[in-house]
Amino acid sequence: MAQISETVVREVVKEILAQMANGTAVTPAAPAVSYTSGDAADMTMREVGQARPGTASDEVVIALAPAFGDKLKKRTITGIPHTAVLRELMAGIEEEGMKPRIIRVWHTSDVAFVGKRGAELSGSGIAVAIQSRGTTVIHQRDLFPLQNIELFPQAPVLTLETYRNIGRNAARYAKGDSPAPVPQISDQMARPKYQAIAAVFHIRETEFVDASKKPMDLEVRFN
Amino acid sequence: MAKRQKRFEVLDAREVNKDGFVTEWPEVGMIAMGSPNDPKPSVKVSNGVIVEMDGKKREEFDFNELFIANYAINASLAEEMMALPCVEIARKIVDINVPRAEVVKIFSGLTPAKIAAVMDELNVVEMMMGIQKMRARRTPGNQAHVTNMQDNPVLMAADAAEATYYGFDEIETTVAVFNYGPMNALALLVGGQIGRPGALSQDALEESIELQLGLRGLTAYAETVSVYGTERVFIDGDDTPWSKAFLASAYASRGLKMRYTSGTGSEVQMAYAEGKSMLYLEIKCIMITKGAGVQGLQNGSISCIGVPGGVPGGIRAVLGENLVTTCLDLEVASGNDQTFSHSPFRRTARLMGQFLPGTDFIFSGYSAVPNYDNVFAGSNFDSDDYDDFLILQRDLKVDGGLRPVREEEIVAVRNKAAKAIQGVFAELGLPAITDEEVEAATYAHGSNDMPARDKVQDTKAAQEMLKRGVTGVDVVKALAKRGFPEVAEAVLNIQKQRVSGDYLHTSAILDKDFNVVAAINDLNDYQGPGTGYRLQGERWEQLANIRHAMSPQDI
Amino acid sequence: MSQQDLIAAIVKEVLSELNGGKASQPASTANGRSLHYQTDYPLSQKRRELVKTATGKSLDDITLDAIMSGAVQAEEIRITPQTLEYQAQIAESIKRPQLARNMRRAGELTRVPDDRVLAMYNALRPNRSSKAELLAIADELEKEYDAKVCANFVREAAGVYEARDVLKKD
Repeated sequence: MAQISETVVREVVKEILAQMANGTAVTPAAPAVSYTSGDAADMTMREVGQARPGTASDEVVIALAPAFGDKLKKRTITGIPHTAVLRELMAGIEEEGMKPRIIRVWHTSDVAFVGKRGAELSGSGIAVAIQSRGTTVIHQRDLFPLQNIELFPQAPVLTLETYRNIGRNAARYAKGDSPAPVPQISDQMARPKYQAIAAVFHIRETEFVDASKKPMDLEVRFN
Repeated sequence: MAKRQKRFEVLDAREVNKDGFVTEWPEVGMIAMGSPNDPKPSVKVSNGVIVEMDGKKREEFDFNELFIANYAINASLAEEMMALPCVEIARKIVDINVPRAEVVKIFSGLTPAKIAAVMDELNVVEMMMGIQKMRARRTPGNQAHVTNMQDNPVLMAADAAEATYYGFDEIETTVAVFNYGPMNALALLVGGQIGRPGALSQDALEESIELQLGLRGLTAYAETVSVYGTERVFIDGDDTPWSKAFLASAYASRGLKMRYTSGTGSEVQMAYAEGKSMLYLEIKCIMITKGAGVQGLQNGSISCIGVPGGVPGGIRAVLGENLVTTCLDLEVASGNDQTFSHSPFRRTARLMGQFLPGTDFIFSGYSAVPNYDNVFAGSNFDSDDYDDFLILQRDLKVDGGLRPVREEEIVAVRNKAAKAIQGVFAELGLPAITDEEVEAATYAHGSNDMPARDKVQDTKAAQEMLKRGVTGVDVVKALAKRGFPEVAEAVLNIQKQRVSGDYLHTSAILDKDFNVVAAINDLNDYQGPGTGYRLQGERWEQLANIRHAMSPQDI
Repeated sequence: MSQQDLIAAIVKEVLSELNGGKASQPASTANGRSLHYQTDYPLSQKRRELVKTATGKSLDDITLDAIMSGAVQAEEIRITPQTLEYQAQIAESIKRPQLARNMRRAGELTRVPDDRVLAMYNALRPNRSSKAELLAIADELEKEYDAKVCANFVREAAGVYEARDVLKKD
């Protein structure tokens, strides 16, 4: 996470907060610094029909929470562009010779349930689910919703490298391997720093939940 | 700002300003207490049934409200108790001349909104006075987290032994990686009995897996059985009050102690707080716990502490939820269990609310490992803070549940635990533990000091343990065969708790001789100076005797 | 509890001990005197004779030797419905009616095998079961395991789940 400075984080948070109806920005002013490795706008997403259970055993689903990629600021809580995150997840899966399939889940923004639904629709039974703030899980069809294969609950410590590794491991599970879990940094100070802000972030994403809408297949174009 | 004022530059660099703060946002429930959307207290009882509660008709109740109305409120007392003014009830909590039992009786007839309104009458010192009197068990206690980022079983056993040697009544682990559950439970069980026989151990996992480990005698109790204050969040937590109450009965049917877990901030964190205040929703959780017939609750915001911690009055609300738990006559494991602030001042101030009055478990838990190894994402205090904590006890003459220890004693118990788990692994056919690992675990600060293990083999072995149905009795046998008869005896005594059911009662813990100490035979009888738990005699001498105090002979 | 009550209870207890130790046999419960927290708790100390394993062994039979020789098996180390009833009486005597009710539900569930208990719990989770499936579980509890309180609890859940739309979809 060396490439992201605190000021970037503050800037992103400020932007999110400023979007809110009652505009409760609380962070001190900081100079704007742009994120260098990718732009938030260079991706288009189009729904191409209701997602059906896949049949290809080399398919790994990437299940997106309602706002990921094309709503709000299109960046994670630490300011990483969603475009870059998605590219890494897909690259990780492809590196292992498997095929990513991207779906949008609408009926929930809870990462566990997004993952469980994605896994049910995945031809291999494996899915990666991701929320806008960056929280990620690798899920498997036969597990309970709140179980998981690997959970990445602390979005603030996740880097692009982590996302690549998550994609790679998901693909390995899909092949029936038992890979070593993706190494995780546990930053115990992420909670005091980010938790209240993460809650606000999640509330914003949850405003896009449509309880009656089925998961949709997505066509993603990187520009 | 073009030109910074130098003092503000220094202030901005202070630890406390790394914490995240937000302003109140009542429309979504980002408010600690007293949201404008919290209902006004009311109750109507007809033919023994609560037909209206807090301004809602029974037909409009969601499942939480139905459960509370059916099980958590004494309908025959409700109208009488609800008629008492909030400030009068608040005064009875603080008044030393009003016995605990009378307050418990009043609370048995109150609705969630009424309890929230009563709490709003109390400042934090009054809340602490309340906890001192209303805590269920007379003797305060403490709980520890014992985890490591590598799920290393040797280190975990040694850390468990050290923790219980310090005096924790309960130890809790969880997994860094999902599949390690059974192996971690095993390491904790064996290590814990070596540091101090009678310590209870648990493994925080997905509900049904956690129950399975309990059924097999690999854990002695359960705690991470979560309940939530709104229907939607409960559903996202994949449960209902009925499923959770059924689970509670399932635990008791196997003679296993358990408590629920909840905490302010979880509903707003999961984005469905319905605009209600954090404390109001938490009170519903506490009442669901009461209604389910569960003996106790872990609360004090727990993993959501950053949320109430980020809003005005949040830490007062967190103390309020502990107090409500005691007023409803439940055991309270009172939080302090998560990293809460970068600022040591804030961390300590947050602790005082539970530390000074004493609770059943002041921390739930204290990180008995360095925070980098704490898989619950860190605790408010960790193993590097032991001496600070011990000196706080000594300065203020407060029993926080820990005792000073000597380095050579810790080396000895850690080594014994590491050797015992080495023997158990060999006997049960689990991946071998080398002498080098035993040595490393004995002297380790944390998992960074441990040689790497083959995680794939360990994961497979852990799953194998579940399939083979390894039980606590198998552990007893393995310990006895490998030359640890007294540890075998202790693990067997833990198994035997599941026969008598004595520790199913409110606030039950076991002493080193396996005598149960509960809010029955050790009921809190505090009624002012000269009553209740007093830190004195041998125990005080023990706590006063810290490592680095110089005596006249030393000079 | 008043000081007088406490003293009275202690005197009663001491007298009963003086009158031949095991003055109050299991029969006392059957005779209508419920156990009381002041006189009978902890059961494992004050009423040790009442505590039995699922196979009728006493706490003193569960020794390390018995484990090593196989005379006591893991499956036996289980609480009985009778012990849970005693503990429920103790909870009631200290005015914890909800705790007592949970212990009585638990007493019924001692008869249900582990995997069925787990399956029933999972079936009670939201959006997992149809109303008919929940009612079938209630019937099973009542008919196969004589678990009437639990059966009615599950029936109540079925009604609530229907009203609150948490039954299985499709």
